[in-house]
Amino acid sequence: MNVRLPVIGLLALCCSAAFAQADAQPRAPGIESADYVWNQPDKEKDAALAHKADIEKGKIAYEVCQGCHQADASGRADAIYPNLAGQHASVLIKQMIDVRSGRRDNPKMHPFVGDWVVSVEDVADISAYLNQLPISTENGKGSGNHLAKGRELYDNDCASCHGKNGEGNAAEFYPLVAQQHYAYLYKEASIIRDGERRNANPKMVKIIKHYSNDDLKAVSDYMSRLVLPR
Amino acid sequence: MRMKTIAAVFAACSGLMLAAGPSFAQVKGDAEKGRALAAEVCVACHGSDGNSLVDAFPKIAGQHAEYAFKQLQDFAGSRRDSEVMRPIVDELSPEDMANAAVFFSTQTAAPGQVDDPSMLAAGQRIYENGNPDQGVPACIGCHGANGVGNARYPRLAGQYPAYILDQMERFADGRRTNDKRLMQTVASRLGETETRAVAEYIASLEAQK
Repeated sequence: MNVRLPVIGLLALCCSAAFAQADAQPRAPGIESADYVWNQPDKEKDAALAHKADIEKGKIAYEVCQGCHQADASGRADAIYPNLAGQHASVLIKQMIDVRSGRRDNPKMHPFVGDWVVSVEDVADISAYLNQLPISTENGKGSGNHLAKGRELYDNDCASCHGKNGEGNAAEFYPLVAQQHYAYLYKEASIIRDGERRNANPKMVKIIKHYSNDDLKAVSDYMSRLVLPR
Repeated sequence: MRMKTIAAVFAACSGLMLAAGPSFAQVKGDAEKGRALAAEVCVACHGSDGNSLVDAFPKIAGQHAEYAFKQLQDFAGSRRDSEVMRPIVDELSPEDMANAAVFFSTQTAAPGQVDDPSMLAAGQRIYENGNPDQGVPACIGCHGANGVGNARYPRLAGQYPAYILDQMERFADGRRTNDKRLMQTVASRLGETETRAVAEYIASLEAQK
């Protein structure tokens, strides 16, 4: 009688492991692999980029995202959920597909962006919907104590790709950084510097490799306060 | 036992594939025919107007027709398991299902009953903010303010806490899989106390139709 209990327990464990397995984010080769090429062609990404997006459908498909990223896509100031409003559609498509395929590690988000939830067309529609939303000015900002340093770093190292006003570059897949939450910018910049953001652009890693944490904080604070010209 | 487990996992997986990419076209049905069907078939458990009297059976009054229709089809197609519902839906045509779904959507849900008011504040926090540390989205994102839901996500307002808890358990342990894995993820990430709290909060919601 007492022999059966552990057996049942073991089976339950196997069963839950099977489910955990089904939900686990896959791991695709990233920056740690020798032949890594940033933003290389990807069947799903290319199909989403080619799709003629429908903003109204995107609004409906976004329902599944807004429990975290908020109805206005403003995210949270504490680095957990970034602002998505106004972001380039190309950037959003690339990042969603990277999470989906396991090039960008995000096990929390992964179950919500799998192909069992959103189609390639949905990814494109959601991205187009988010792109045309107004960016909140209520984003989280840093201490404000080292903005001169932040500006110097930004103008020297970041502006050539991310733009003078933090507007990014849709054609190059460089994200808009203006008015993004400070804590999110700091966290992502840190893991990009440290080689932990596996879908990062090696050019950027090289540029910020020597940055101290204080440098990253200063430049993140500066970016969080950039405002796009109207 | 082992075979059964493997079979269950297979069933769950095939259910997932079938559950992917459903259409949410507006359900067209005849509410009067649905009323007659409800009086004959559904009344014993769900009540004649969809306000069931026992918390083992969900309230379906005011439920969105698209959602209710999909659930009936999922029972029929073995994408949602229920020993109770399966023999009943086997006797229904797709037209019957549409008629019943439309009829119940026109009915008014009775207010829910909160068992433990001390949990409401915690439940509201989860409902409106989720649990970011655990990667739990806010319920409000899909189920809407006041639990009103829409064609894609069910109305929850006023539902029995016991029914909510039972479904959350089924999502968490993989017995219910017709949710594109969304609720399976949510239910497996929420703690037991959080789940209870949010079930109580849902019971307190009074959504307008």
